[in-house]
Amino acid sequence: MLNSRAGKSALIAFLLAVMASGCSSMGVEPWERDVLAKEEMQLTTDPVEAGIDDHIYFSKEASSGGRGFGGGGCGCN
Amino acid sequence: MSKQNSRSIAASLATAACSLLGTSTISPVQAQEEPDWDFNTALLYYGESDNRVQDFSLNVLARRIYVDDRILSLGLTVDALTGATPSGALPFDGPQTFTRPSGKATYTTAPNEIPLDDSFLDTRVALTAGWQQPLARLYSINAGVSASKEYDYVHLGANAGLARDFNKRNTTLSLGVAYSQDSLNPEGGAPVPLSAMLDVGDLSNRMGDQDKDVVDLVLGLTQVVSRDLLFQFNYSLSQSSGYLTDPFKFLSLVDPVTGDPVSHTPAPGERGPSHENRFESRPDERTKHSVYGQAKYYMSGKVLDLSYRYMTDDWEIDSHTLEARYRWPFGDRSYLEPHVRWYTQTAADFYRISLVDGAPPLEFASADYRLGEFDAITLGMKYGWTTRSDNEMSVRLEYYMQDGSAPSDQIIGNQVGRELYPDLDAIIAQFSYRF
Amino acid sequence: MTRAGESRNPQLRRAAGYYQGLFRAMGSPCELLVDTKNEKLAQKLLRLVAAEAWRVEDKFSRYLPGNIIAKINESDGQAVTVDDETANLLDFSATLYELSERRFDITSGVLRKVWIFDGSDRVPTAESIRQIMDSIGWHRVSWQRPRIRLQPGMQIDLGGIGKEYAVDRAAARISPVTSCPCLINFGGDLVASGDVRQPDGWQVGIESPDSEGSAKKLIALRTGALATSGDARRFLLKDGIRYGHILNPQTGWPIEHAPDSVTVAADTCTQAGMLTTLAMLNGANAEAFLEQQNVQFWCLRQKSESSRSRL
Repeated sequence: MLNSRAGKSALIAFLLAVMASGCSSMGVEPWERDVLAKEEMQLTTDPVEAGIDDHIYFSKEASSGGRGFGGGGCGCN
Repeated sequence: MSKQNSRSIAASLATAACSLLGTSTISPVQAQEEPDWDFNTALLYYGESDNRVQDFSLNVLARRIYVDDRILSLGLTVDALTGATPSGALPFDGPQTFTRPSGKATYTTAPNEIPLDDSFLDTRVALTAGWQQPLARLYSINAGVSASKEYDYVHLGANAGLARDFNKRNTTLSLGVAYSQDSLNPEGGAPVPLSAMLDVGDLSNRMGDQDKDVVDLVLGLTQVVSRDLLFQFNYSLSQSSGYLTDPFKFLSLVDPVTGDPVSHTPAPGERGPSHENRFESRPDERTKHSVYGQAKYYMSGKVLDLSYRYMTDDWEIDSHTLEARYRWPFGDRSYLEPHVRWYTQTAADFYRISLVDGAPPLEFASADYRLGEFDAITLGMKYGWTTRSDNEMSVRLEYYMQDGSAPSDQIIGNQVGRELYPDLDAIIAQFSYRF
Repeated sequence: MTRAGESRNPQLRRAAGYYQGLFRAMGSPCELLVDTKNEKLAQKLLRLVAAEAWRVEDKFSRYLPGNIIAKINESDGQAVTVDDETANLLDFSATLYELSERRFDITSGVLRKVWIFDGSDRVPTAESIRQIMDSIGWHRVSWQRPRIRLQPGMQIDLGGIGKEYAVDRAAARISPVTSCPCLINFGGDLVASGDVRQPDGWQVGIESPDSEGSAKKLIALRTGALATSGDARRFLLKDGIRYGHILNPQTGWPIEHAPDSVTVAADTCTQAGMLTTLAMLNGANAEAFLEQQNVQFWCLRQKSESSRSRL
């Protein structure tokens, strides 16, 4: 129910599909996902930037991946 | 409800709602669906100091969202690369001449400077396409393909994934696999590993096109902890096989006493290298394991994003990566996001700053600084704002520096005191626009 | 409609070009967006909207002692005389009961005693449902404005109307005060009021958790209301109790093949909300029902389920 990326005059109304509830004490009820639904709370807020960073570090370091696939597809390393 | 009746329900409901609410000044609803293409674009400048690599890059990611959460995404990246990159050869107090990778010409580097191969000029075009959709109630699947083309390199890849939600969708388990097949066809052919750098025009140590395959597997767990905290944990396995050597990197062959490069005399009437160099050689298999953890924490409008990665592989490289971002909204419609990244790695077991003349032959050796031991720090700041027309823009500026050192037990004679490890300083400047 | 410990302290903050007020009522996060630079005005509107939400909650929540609903439910067969507002709501409920061919029934709340959707597989026995069905049915209620008489053991519950009604009432409270564009959103049921300044009005995202937030359907709302009914919403509509399904008050059993969620656009939030509820009560025919009503709607159904319901 909170503001989304759409800025001025923007809002996220939040809608959830059905699910039988589990028994874990961790987690939230479906109607408590207002904060988690925000753009800035996504695991990858900017997929393009994440891709750029993965590419840079893939070509300059010996490690890659972790967050997702190993990157690559580049003659740079 | 029978069909005859149901036609009038909305009208009867309107009348009933009107008398319930007692208002006569209700404005009629005006709602429409927004176009559901979403474009993420970014222009990037990546520039290393000392005239090393410069990259101008254009990135576009377009996403179309259909009903039922089916998502099509299409990506395009164009990179224009120029500049020089460390060849692996050691500096010494005289000029050095090298044969270009093409085998068609030579270039000379100044005394006491880390030899850079300045023939680095390329354009890379990469395309991706992906599809994601729910499958049954708690599952979702995704699949994608990727392709990229450089002057001497072609990549083709495919990936697929499956995710399942548990515990009121507070827990998600995911599994992804990716396969890529890359082929290298450097001009003149890829050099035979550990063969000597030859005179101009002599391609007798060159092989034909080379291939490498990479299989990636990622197991993921996402856990919502509370209204403002969530975690992600991944385990990844990456298996590469084939030609994993860099065809442009080589090592200096040095004198066992002085540590200076052994000189080479080109054949009469030919141009060629002034010193002995050997093309590098890497194992044709590599298995990497990594674990990754990320936390996102919302603190009354501010968001902290922390992540850590540990990677280990059978080349004896271990690395740790720690990253933090802090998104700090201010003013009407903007935010600042400082970013810190710290990285450290150990050297590959076959990393050598040079090959020693007369020493027993090695099976694998590479002086590629990226396989050495180093630390790296990235410091960055991003400023993002929302335009009047509700589009998002951001600029970010980052500074990346690598600080490594040559293994002390490999430093011989005159090498002491020379700059043997090419440190790196780079600027990342990016402008993003989302609409 | 309330939960213990819910703080009644609205928070106002400046967001991207507008003011955003936040508070909780009726077991839901509630929000007011005001397109203004005037902080005092935004404060005033937020106070009005929150006060109206809490007034409706206090007056009609079946969980609060001493209000009119408690009085009716504890009347033990005696007639109760109600005020005009309650009477209007009872008239409206009676109309809905007719329009829905007895599927929308404010006396069906007692089914909660046997249906507890807590994620376990404890489905009530047919016998226990049969027993409780004896105390369900609006037709057993004597309603002659302003007097209502329930049979002993019966209860009414306005939770199925309350939140949408509160949204419309809140809009009516602020419209004499300002013509500034405002958006009132009580747990996903919302109304846009005031002038339209932005060409696209308010952008409302409908989002499903499957996609980790990347999949959004954006609806531009210039004027009027949007309401959403899904099982998640149903929890809210039915007083925060853990309902996972829509129950058919005529049988005591869940409606089969209801969509996962339904969003409807209408002039008022009450209309929109009732249309979503009626659509849900139509189960597999929800989309067909909404088509006939000639309203704008967005139904969310997992693919495998819709195909199963067509068999």
